Amino acid sequence: MAEKFHTELKKLRKDTVAMAQFGRSMLRDATDALVRQDRDLAESVVARKGEIHTREVDLEERCYQLIALYQPMAKDMRVIACTLKVITASMRIGRYGKVIANIVKEIAERPQISPTMSLAHNSHMMSIPHMAELVIDMIDDAIAAYDIESETNIADFNARDDTIDALRHSIFREGITHMMEDPRSITRCTHYIMVARYLERCADHACKIAENVHYMETGERIEIH
Amino acid sequence: MSGTCIISTIDLNLWYHRKHALQSVSMRIPRNKVTALIGPSGCGKSTLLRCFNRLNDLIDDVKITGTILLDDQEIHAPGTDVVTLRKKVGMVFQKPNPFPKSIRENVAYGPKVHGVADRSELDRIVEESLRHAALWDEVKDRLDDSALGLSGGQQQRLCIARTLAVEPEVILMDEPCSALDPIATAKIENLIDELRKEYTVIIVTHNMQQAARVSDYTGFMYLGRLIECGKTKQIFEHPAEELTENYITGRFG
Repeated sequence: MAEKFHTELKKLRKDTVAMAQFGRSMLRDATDALVRQDRDLAESVVARKGEIHTREVDLEERCYQLIALYQPMAKDMRVIACTLKVITASMRIGRYGKVIANIVKEIAERPQISPTMSLAHNSHMMSIPHMAELVIDMIDDAIAAYDIESETNIADFNARDDTIDALRHSIFREGITHMMEDPRSITRCTHYIMVARYLERCADHACKIAENVHYMETGERIEIH
Repeated sequence: MSGTCIISTIDLNLWYHRKHALQSVSMRIPRNKVTALIGPSGCGKSTLLRCFNRLNDLIDDVKITGTILLDDQEIHAPGTDVVTLRKKVGMVFQKPNPFPKSIRENVAYGPKVHGVADRSELDRIVEESLRHAALWDEVKDRLDDSALGLSGGQQQRLCIARTLAVEPEVILMDEPCSALDPIATAKIENLIDELRKEYTVIIVTHNMQQAARVSDYTGFMYLGRLIECGKTKQIFEHPAEELTENYITGRFG
Protein backbone atom coordinates (compact mmCIF):
# COMPACT_ATOMS: atom_id res chain seq x y z
CA MET A 1 0.00 0.00 0.00
CA ALA A 2 2.86 2.34 0.83
CA GLU A 3 4.22 1.83 -2.65
CA LYS A 4 0.87 2.69 -4.19
CA PHE A 5 0.72 5.80 -2.03
CA HIS A 6 4.15 6.96 -3.14
CA THR A 7 3.30 6.35 -6.79
CA GLU A 8 0.13 8.40 -6.37
CA LEU A 9 2.02 11.13 -4.56
CA LYS A 10 4.61 11.34 -7.32
CA LYS A 11 1.89 11.63 -9.93
CA LEU A 12 0.08 14.26 -7.86
CA ARG A 13 3.25 16.36 -7.74
CA LYS A 14 3.82 16.01 -11.46
CA ASP A 15 0.27 17.13 -12.22
CA THR A 16 0.55 19.98 -9.73
CA VAL A 17 3.67 21.22 -11.52
CA ALA A 18 1.71 21.05 -14.77
CA MET A 19 -1.15 23.03 -13.23
CA ALA A 20 1.26 25.64 -11.86
CA GLN A 21 2.76 25.99 -15.33
CA PHE A 22 -0.73 26.33 -16.77
CA GLY A 23 -1.51 29.17 -14.34
CA ARG A 24 1.83 30.75 -15.12
CA SER A 25 1.10 30.54 -18.89
CA MET A 26 -2.19 32.39 -18.33
CA LEU A 27 -0.32 35.24 -16.66
CA ARG A 28 2.46 35.17 -19.26
CA ASP A 29 0.04 35.32 -22.19
CA ALA A 30 -2.07 37.99 -20.50
CA THR A 31 0.91 40.29 -20.02
CA ASP A 32 2.09 39.58 -23.57
CA ALA A 33 -1.39 40.41 -24.84
CA LEU A 34 -1.26 43.63 -22.87
CA VAL A 35 2.09 44.68 -24.29
CA ARG A 36 1.07 43.81 -27.85
CA GLN A 37 -2.57 44.85 -27.41
CA ASP A 38 -3.46 41.42 -28.74
CA ARG A 39 -7.17 40.93 -28.18
CA ASP A 40 -7.24 37.37 -29.52
CA LEU A 41 -4.53 36.23 -27.14
CA ALA A 42 -6.43 37.91 -24.30
CA GLU A 43 -9.57 36.03 -25.34
CA SER A 44 -7.69 32.75 -25.25
CA VAL A 45 -6.48 33.46 -21.69
CA VAL A 46 -10.02 34.19 -20.51
CA ALA A 47 -11.18 30.94 -22.14
CA ARG A 48 -8.73 28.96 -19.98
CA LYS A 49 -10.40 29.82 -16.68
CA GLY A 50 -12.63 26.74 -16.77
CA GLU A 51 -9.68 24.45 -17.34
CA ILE A 52 -7.65 25.79 -14.42
CA HIS A 53 -10.66 25.51 -12.13
CA THR A 54 -11.19 21.89 -13.18
CA ARG A 55 -7.55 21.10 -12.49
CA GLU A 56 -7.69 22.82 -9.11
CA VAL A 57 -10.70 20.77 -8.00
CA ASP A 58 -9.23 17.52 -9.30
CA LEU A 59 -5.85 18.01 -7.62
CA GLU A 60 -7.36 19.12 -4.32
CA GLU A 61 -9.63 16.07 -4.33
CA ARG A 62 -6.62 13.85 -4.86
CA CYS A 63 -4.81 15.49 -1.91
CA TYR A 64 -7.80 14.95 0.35
CA GLN A 65 -8.12 11.37 -0.82
CA LEU A 66 -4.48 10.60 -0.06
CA ILE A 67 -4.89 12.12 3.41
CA ALA A 68 -8.06 10.16 4.08
CA LEU A 69 -6.79 6.84 2.76
CA TYR A 70 -3.19 6.85 3.94
CA GLN A 71 -2.92 9.39 6.80
CA PRO A 72 0.53 10.46 5.65
CA MET A 73 3.25 11.42 8.10
CA ALA A 74 6.48 13.42 8.12
CA LYS A 75 7.77 14.42 4.67
CA ASP A 76 4.82 12.79 2.92
CA MET A 77 2.45 14.91 5.00
CA ARG A 78 4.49 18.04 4.33
CA VAL A 79 4.51 17.33 0.58
CA ILE A 80 0.71 17.18 0.55
CA ALA A 81 0.41 20.31 2.72
CA CYS A 82 2.74 22.14 0.35
CA THR A 83 0.95 20.78 -2.71
CA LEU A 84 -2.38 22.16 -1.49
CA LYS A 85 -0.79 25.59 -1.14
CA VAL A 86 0.85 25.36 -4.57
CA ILE A 87 -2.52 24.48 -6.10
CA THR A 88 -4.17 27.52 -4.50
CA ALA A 89 -1.32 29.86 -5.46
CA SER A 90 -1.33 28.58 -9.06
CA MET A 91 -5.07 29.07 -9.29
CA ARG A 92 -4.73 32.66 -8.07
CA ILE A 93 -1.90 33.38 -10.50
CA GLY A 94 -4.00 32.00 -13.35
CA ARG A 95 -6.98 34.09 -12.26
CA TYR A 96 -4.89 37.26 -12.17
CA GLY A 97 -3.89 36.36 -15.75
CA LYS A 98 -7.57 36.22 -16.62
CA VAL A 99 -8.27 39.56 -14.93
CA ILE A 100 -5.39 41.21 -16.82
CA ALA A 101 -6.65 39.64 -20.06
CA ASN A 102 -10.06 41.22 -19.40
CA ILE A 103 -8.36 44.58 -18.97
CA VAL A 104 -6.64 44.08 -22.36
CA LYS A 105 -10.07 43.46 -23.91
CA GLU A 106 -11.54 46.51 -22.25
CA ILE A 107 -8.70 48.79 -23.36
CA ALA A 108 -8.97 47.43 -26.91
CA GLU A 109 -12.64 48.33 -27.03
CA ARG A 110 -11.94 51.97 -26.21
CA PRO A 111 -11.48 54.24 -29.22
CA GLN A 112 -8.15 55.91 -29.69
CA ILE A 113 -8.51 59.39 -28.31
CA SER A 114 -5.81 60.95 -30.41
CA PRO A 115 -3.43 59.87 -33.10
CA THR A 116 -0.68 59.94 -30.54
CA MET A 117 -2.55 57.62 -28.20
CA SER A 118 -1.01 54.50 -29.63
CA LEU A 119 2.36 55.91 -28.81
CA ALA A 120 1.02 56.99 -25.44
CA HIS A 121 -0.04 53.43 -24.83
CA ASN A 122 3.54 52.31 -24.80
CA SER A 123 4.93 55.12 -22.77
CA HIS A 124 2.12 54.87 -20.22
CA MET A 125 2.80 51.15 -19.72
CA MET A 126 5.74 52.38 -17.70
CA SER A 127 7.70 49.50 -16.15
CA ILE A 128 4.89 46.95 -16.47
CA PRO A 129 6.61 44.73 -19.11
CA HIS A 130 9.81 44.70 -17.03
CA MET A 131 7.88 43.98 -13.83
CA ALA A 132 5.99 41.16 -15.56
CA GLU A 133 9.29 39.55 -16.60
CA LEU A 134 10.60 39.63 -13.03
CA VAL A 135 7.35 38.24 -11.58
CA ILE A 136 7.22 35.41 -14.11
CA ASP A 137 10.85 34.57 -13.34
CA MET A 138 9.93 34.30 -9.66
CA ILE A 139 6.98 32.04 -10.50
CA ASP A 140 9.22 29.84 -12.67
CA ASP A 141 11.78 29.54 -9.89
CA ALA A 142 9.11 28.76 -7.29
CA ILE A 143 7.58 26.03 -9.47
CA ALA A 144 11.03 24.56 -10.17
CA ALA A 145 11.86 24.59 -6.45
CA TYR A 146 8.70 22.58 -5.76
CA ASP A 147 9.37 20.27 -8.68
CA ILE A 148 13.01 19.40 -8.00
CA GLU A 149 12.91 19.94 -4.22
CA SER A 150 15.69 22.49 -4.28
CA GLU A 151 15.75 25.88 -2.61
CA THR A 152 18.71 27.25 -4.54
CA ASN A 153 16.68 29.49 -6.84
CA ILE A 154 14.31 30.78 -4.18
CA ALA A 155 16.93 31.75 -1.60
CA ASP A 156 16.90 35.40 -2.78
CA PHE A 157 13.10 35.79 -2.86
CA ASN A 158 13.04 38.39 -0.10
CA ALA A 159 15.18 40.77 -2.15
CA ARG A 160 13.32 39.99 -5.37
CA ASP A 161 9.99 40.62 -3.71
CA ASP A 162 11.31 43.98 -2.46
CA THR A 163 12.15 44.91 -6.06
CA ILE A 164 8.62 44.01 -7.16
CA ASP A 165 7.10 46.11 -4.37
CA ALA A 166 9.30 49.05 -5.37
CA LEU A 167 8.26 48.69 -9.02
CA ARG A 168 4.59 48.66 -8.10
CA HIS A 169 5.07 51.81 -6.08
CA SER A 170 6.94 53.52 -8.88
CA ILE A 171 4.26 52.56 -11.45
CA PHE A 172 1.62 53.96 -9.12
CA ARG A 173 3.40 57.30 -8.81
CA GLU A 174 4.20 57.51 -12.49
CA GLY A 175 0.62 56.64 -13.37
CA ILE A 176 -0.71 59.44 -11.18
CA THR A 177 1.69 61.85 -12.87
CA HIS A 178 0.43 60.84 -16.34
CA MET A 179 -3.17 61.23 -15.23
CA MET A 180 -2.52 64.74 -13.96
CA GLU A 181 -0.77 65.67 -17.17
CA ASP A 182 -3.50 64.31 -19.43
CA PRO A 183 -6.89 63.46 -17.90
CA ARG A 184 -7.78 61.45 -21.03
CA SER A 185 -5.27 58.85 -19.84
CA ILE A 186 -7.03 58.32 -16.51
CA THR A 187 -8.91 55.15 -17.48
CA ARG A 188 -5.91 53.56 -19.13
CA CYS A 189 -3.47 54.47 -16.37
CA THR A 190 -5.88 53.26 -13.70
CA HIS A 191 -5.94 49.91 -15.48
CA TYR A 192 -2.15 49.84 -15.57
CA ILE A 193 -1.91 50.64 -11.90
CA MET A 194 -4.28 47.75 -11.26
CA VAL A 195 -2.16 45.46 -13.45
CA ALA A 196 0.91 46.41 -11.42
CA ARG A 197 -1.00 45.54 -8.28
CA TYR A 198 -2.04 42.15 -9.71
CA LEU A 199 1.54 41.41 -10.73
CA GLU A 200 2.69 42.27 -7.24
CA ARG A 201 0.12 39.85 -5.81
CA CYS A 202 1.37 37.14 -8.19
CA ALA A 203 4.88 37.66 -6.83
CA ASP A 204 3.43 37.24 -3.34
CA HIS A 205 1.94 33.92 -4.43
CA ALA A 206 5.36 32.88 -5.75
CA CYS A 207 6.74 33.77 -2.30
CA LYS A 208 4.00 31.67 -0.66
CA ILE A 209 5.03 28.71 -2.82
CA ALA A 210 8.66 29.31 -1.80
CA GLU A 211 7.73 29.43 1.90
CA ASN A 212 5.88 26.15 1.55
CA VAL A 213 8.69 24.48 -0.37
CA HIS A 214 10.97 25.41 2.53
CA TYR A 215 8.46 23.84 4.94
CA MET A 216 8.20 20.76 2.72
CA GLU A 217 11.96 20.36 2.72
CA THR A 218 12.82 21.21 6.31
CA GLY A 219 9.64 21.17 8.41
CA GLU A 220 10.43 24.76 9.43
CA ARG A 221 8.32 27.83 8.84
CA ILE A 222 9.77 30.97 7.30
CA GLU A 223 8.18 34.20 6.18
CA ILE A 224 9.07 35.91 2.95
CA HIS A 225 7.56 39.36 3.09
CA MET B 1 14.22 15.26 38.07
CA SER B 2 11.40 13.25 39.63
CA GLY B 3 9.10 16.24 39.15
CA THR B 4 9.09 15.95 35.40
CA CYS B 5 10.24 12.42 34.78
CA ILE B 6 8.65 9.40 36.45
CA ILE B 7 10.58 6.56 34.82
CA SER B 8 13.98 6.65 33.30
CA THR B 9 16.16 3.94 31.88
CA ILE B 10 19.92 4.25 31.58
CA ASP B 11 21.84 1.98 29.24
CA LEU B 12 19.22 -0.76 29.54
CA ASN B 13 20.08 -4.05 27.86
CA LEU B 14 18.02 -7.21 27.79
CA TRP B 15 18.77 -10.65 26.40
CA TYR B 16 16.28 -13.46 25.82
CA HIS B 17 18.71 -16.34 25.92
CA ARG B 18 21.16 -15.18 23.24
CA LYS B 19 18.90 -12.67 21.55
CA HIS B 20 19.91 -9.12 22.42
CA ALA B 21 16.35 -7.72 22.53
CA LEU B 22 17.05 -4.31 24.06
CA GLN B 23 20.29 -2.58 23.25
CA SER B 24 21.47 0.27 25.41
CA VAL B 25 18.10 1.96 25.77
CA SER B 26 18.23 5.26 27.63
CA MET B 27 14.88 6.93 27.86
CA ARG B 28 12.99 9.32 30.11
CA ILE B 29 9.23 9.00 30.56
CA PRO B 30 7.62 12.33 31.55
CA ARG B 31 5.14 12.34 34.41
CA ASN B 32 1.44 12.84 33.66
CA LYS B 33 2.01 12.54 29.94
CA VAL B 34 1.17 9.88 27.40
CA THR B 35 4.24 8.33 25.83
CA ALA B 36 3.84 6.07 22.82
CA LEU B 37 6.33 3.43 21.72
CA ILE B 38 6.24 2.64 18.02
CA GLY B 39 8.29 0.47 15.73
CA PRO B 40 8.07 -2.62 13.54
CA SER B 41 7.19 -6.00 15.04
CA GLY B 42 10.00 -7.47 17.06
CA CYS B 43 11.75 -4.13 17.64
CA GLY B 44 11.54 -4.52 21.42
CA LYS B 45 8.78 -2.07 22.30
CA SER B 46 6.68 -4.59 24.23
CA THR B 47 9.81 -5.94 25.89
CA LEU B 48 10.73 -2.42 27.01
CA LEU B 49 7.19 -1.86 28.29
CA ARG B 50 7.33 -5.09 30.26
CA CYS B 51 10.60 -4.01 31.87
CA PHE B 52 8.82 -1.15 33.60
CA ASN B 53 6.90 -3.46 35.94
CA ARG B 54 9.37 -6.36 35.77
CA LEU B 55 7.03 -8.65 33.87
CA ASN B 56 10.07 -10.06 32.08
CA ASP B 57 11.07 -11.62 35.43
CA LEU B 58 8.45 -14.25 34.70
CA ILE B 59 10.31 -15.46 31.61
CA ASP B 60 13.16 -17.94 31.91
CA ASP B 61 16.61 -17.14 30.64
CA VAL B 62 16.28 -13.37 30.62
CA LYS B 63 19.26 -11.22 31.48
CA ILE B 64 18.92 -7.52 32.14
CA THR B 65 21.69 -4.97 32.65
CA GLY B 66 21.48 -1.24 33.12
CA THR B 67 19.23 0.90 35.25
CA ILE B 68 15.49 1.48 35.46
CA LEU B 69 14.45 4.19 37.87
CA LEU B 70 10.88 4.68 39.04
CA ASP B 71 10.61 7.87 41.07
CA ASP B 72 14.41 7.79 41.32
CA GLN B 73 14.37 4.30 42.84
CA GLU B 74 16.08 1.42 41.03
CA ILE B 75 13.33 -1.16 40.45
CA HIS B 76 15.80 -4.05 40.44
CA ALA B 77 17.34 -3.05 43.78
CA PRO B 78 17.46 -5.85 46.34
CA GLY B 79 14.44 -5.67 48.59
CA THR B 80 12.16 -4.17 45.93
CA ASP B 81 8.69 -5.60 46.42
CA VAL B 82 7.51 -6.62 42.96
CA VAL B 83 3.86 -6.67 44.10
CA THR B 84 4.14 -3.05 45.22
CA LEU B 85 5.95 -2.19 42.00
CA ARG B 86 3.16 -3.72 39.91
CA LYS B 87 0.61 -1.84 42.00
CA LYS B 88 2.38 1.38 41.13
CA VAL B 89 2.85 0.37 37.52
CA GLY B 90 -0.33 -1.25 36.23
CA MET B 91 -0.78 -2.92 32.91
CA VAL B 92 -3.47 -3.35 30.28
CA PHE B 93 -2.90 -6.03 27.67
CA GLN B 94 -3.65 -6.42 23.99
CA LYS B 95 -6.60 -8.73 24.45
CA PRO B 96 -9.10 -7.90 27.19
CA ASN B 97 -8.55 -10.45 29.94
CA PRO B 98 -11.21 -10.03 32.61
CA PHE B 99 -11.37 -12.64 35.34
CA PRO B 100 -14.32 -15.04 34.94
CA LYS B 101 -16.05 -13.27 37.77
CA SER B 102 -18.59 -10.48 38.17
CA ILE B 103 -17.84 -6.95 37.05
CA ARG B 104 -17.69 -5.84 40.69
CA GLU B 105 -15.29 -8.61 41.68
CA ASN B 106 -12.99 -7.87 38.76
CA VAL B 107 -12.49 -4.31 39.95
CA ALA B 108 -12.43 -5.11 43.68
CA TYR B 109 -9.92 -7.94 43.24
CA GLY B 110 -6.79 -5.78 43.35
CA PRO B 111 -7.77 -3.66 46.37
CA LYS B 112 -8.74 -6.86 48.23
CA VAL B 113 -5.33 -8.40 47.52
CA HIS B 114 -3.79 -5.21 48.88
CA GLY B 115 -5.79 -5.52 52.08
CA VAL B 116 -8.95 -3.44 51.63
CA ALA B 117 -11.71 -5.40 53.37
CA ASP B 118 -14.35 -2.79 54.16
CA ARG B 119 -17.40 -3.37 51.94
CA SER B 120 -18.39 0.28 51.57
CA GLU B 121 -14.78 1.25 50.82
CA LEU B 122 -14.65 -1.45 48.15
CA ASP B 123 -17.94 -0.19 46.68
CA ARG B 124 -16.51 3.30 46.55
CA ILE B 125 -13.36 2.07 44.79
CA VAL B 126 -15.43 0.04 42.30
CA GLU B 127 -17.62 3.00 41.40
CA GLU B 128 -14.75 5.46 41.18
CA SER B 129 -12.61 3.15 39.07
CA LEU B 130 -15.48 2.35 36.70
CA ARG B 131 -16.27 6.05 36.39
CA HIS B 132 -12.63 6.84 35.65
CA ALA B 133 -12.64 4.12 33.00
CA ALA B 134 -15.81 5.63 31.45
CA LEU B 135 -17.71 2.40 32.02
CA TRP B 136 -19.86 3.18 35.07
CA ASP B 137 -22.97 4.36 33.23
CA GLU B 138 -23.01 1.25 31.07
CA VAL B 139 -22.64 -1.29 33.90
CA LYS B 140 -23.92 0.33 37.10
CA ASP B 141 -27.14 -1.71 37.03
CA ARG B 142 -25.45 -5.05 36.46
CA LEU B 143 -22.33 -4.99 38.60
CA ASP B 144 -22.91 -8.57 39.67
CA ASP B 145 -23.24 -9.92 36.14
CA SER B 146 -20.33 -11.83 34.68
CA ALA B 147 -17.63 -9.65 33.14
CA LEU B 148 -17.46 -12.11 30.26
CA GLY B 149 -20.88 -10.89 29.11
CA LEU B 150 -19.49 -7.47 28.26
CA SER B 151 -18.49 -6.48 24.73
CA GLY B 152 -14.78 -6.45 23.81
CA GLY B 153 -14.51 -2.69 24.21
CA GLN B 154 -16.31 -2.80 27.56
CA GLN B 155 -14.08 -5.64 28.73
CA GLN B 156 -11.01 -3.60 27.85
CA ARG B 157 -12.35 -0.62 29.81
CA LEU B 158 -13.10 -2.99 32.68
CA CYS B 159 -9.45 -4.08 32.57
CA ILE B 160 -8.46 -0.42 32.72
CA ALA B 161 -10.83 0.08 35.69
CA ARG B 162 -9.23 -2.96 37.35
CA THR B 163 -5.82 -1.36 36.87
CA LEU B 164 -7.04 1.99 38.24
CA ALA B 165 -8.58 0.35 41.33
CA VAL B 166 -5.17 -0.11 42.95
CA GLU B 167 -4.27 3.55 42.36
CA PRO B 168 -1.24 3.15 40.14
CA GLU B 169 1.07 5.97 39.12
CA VAL B 170 1.84 4.56 35.72
CA ILE B 171 -0.38 2.60 33.34
CA LEU B 172 1.29 0.47 30.70
CA MET B 173 -0.83 -0.37 27.69
CA ASP B 174 0.31 -2.99 25.21
CA GLU B 175 -1.70 -2.57 22.00
CA PRO B 176 -4.87 -1.89 24.02
CA CYS B 177 -7.06 -1.33 20.95
CA SER B 178 -5.79 -3.91 18.51
CA ALA B 179 -8.63 -6.32 19.30
CA LEU B 180 -11.32 -3.63 19.25
CA ASP B 181 -13.56 -2.09 16.60
CA PRO B 182 -13.21 1.61 15.69
CA ILE B 183 -15.97 2.76 18.05
CA ALA B 184 -14.53 0.93 21.04
CA THR B 185 -11.08 2.17 19.99
CA ALA B 186 -12.31 5.77 20.00
CA LYS B 187 -13.67 5.28 23.54
CA ILE B 188 -10.34 3.93 24.78
CA GLU B 189 -8.52 6.80 23.10
CA ASN B 190 -10.83 9.33 24.78
CA LEU B 191 -10.19 7.54 28.04
CA ILE B 192 -6.41 7.76 27.59
CA ASP B 193 -6.86 11.48 27.02
CA GLU B 194 -8.66 11.72 30.38
CA LEU B 195 -6.20 9.46 32.21
CA ARG B 196 -3.21 11.70 31.50
CA LYS B 197 -4.57 14.22 34.03
CA GLU B 198 -3.87 11.87 36.91
CA TYR B 199 -1.63 9.15 35.57
CA THR B 200 1.36 8.57 33.38
CA VAL B 201 0.47 6.38 30.42
CA ILE B 202 2.91 4.44 28.28
CA ILE B 203 1.32 2.85 25.25
CA VAL B 204 2.72 0.43 22.72
CA THR B 205 0.91 0.60 19.41
CA HIS B 206 1.30 -0.54 15.84
CA ASN B 207 -1.12 2.12 14.77
CA MET B 208 0.92 5.22 14.09
CA GLN B 209 -2.11 7.41 13.66
CA GLN B 210 -3.22 6.30 17.11
CA ALA B 211 0.19 7.16 18.54
CA ALA B 212 -0.02 10.55 16.85
CA ARG B 213 -3.53 11.15 18.22
CA VAL B 214 -3.16 10.09 21.82
CA SER B 215 0.43 10.69 22.84
CA ASP B 216 2.45 13.70 23.95
CA TYR B 217 5.79 11.98 23.43
CA THR B 218 6.78 9.20 21.05
CA GLY B 219 9.72 6.84 21.01
CA PHE B 220 10.63 5.01 17.83
CA MET B 221 12.37 1.66 18.27
CA TYR B 222 14.13 -0.45 15.70
CA LEU B 223 15.96 -3.76 16.15
CA GLY B 224 16.14 -3.36 19.92
CA ARG B 225 17.42 0.20 19.88
CA LEU B 226 15.63 3.41 20.73
CA ILE B 227 16.28 5.40 17.57
CA GLU B 228 14.54 8.61 18.47
CA CYS B 229 12.36 9.93 21.23
CA GLY B 230 10.73 13.32 21.38
CA LYS B 231 7.54 15.31 21.24
CA THR B 232 4.94 13.50 19.17
CA LYS B 233 4.30 16.50 16.93
CA GLN B 234 7.97 16.71 16.05
CA ILE B 235 8.37 12.96 15.49
CA PHE B 236 5.42 12.77 13.11
CA GLU B 237 5.89 16.09 11.36
CA HIS B 238 9.62 16.28 11.08
CA PRO B 239 11.60 13.42 12.61
CA ALA B 240 15.31 13.96 13.14
CA GLU B 241 16.38 10.47 12.08
CA GLU B 242 16.07 9.08 8.59
CA LEU B 243 15.12 5.65 9.95
CA THR B 244 12.14 7.19 11.76
CA GLU B 245 11.14 9.09 8.63
CA ASN B 246 11.32 5.92 6.56
CA TYR B 247 9.27 3.95 9.05
CA ILE B 248 6.49 6.44 9.60
CA THR B 249 6.15 7.17 5.90
CA GLY B 250 5.76 3.45 5.25
CA ARG B 251 9.01 2.97 3.33
CA PHE B 252 9.76 -0.11 5.40
CA GLY B 253 8.34 -2.16 8.25
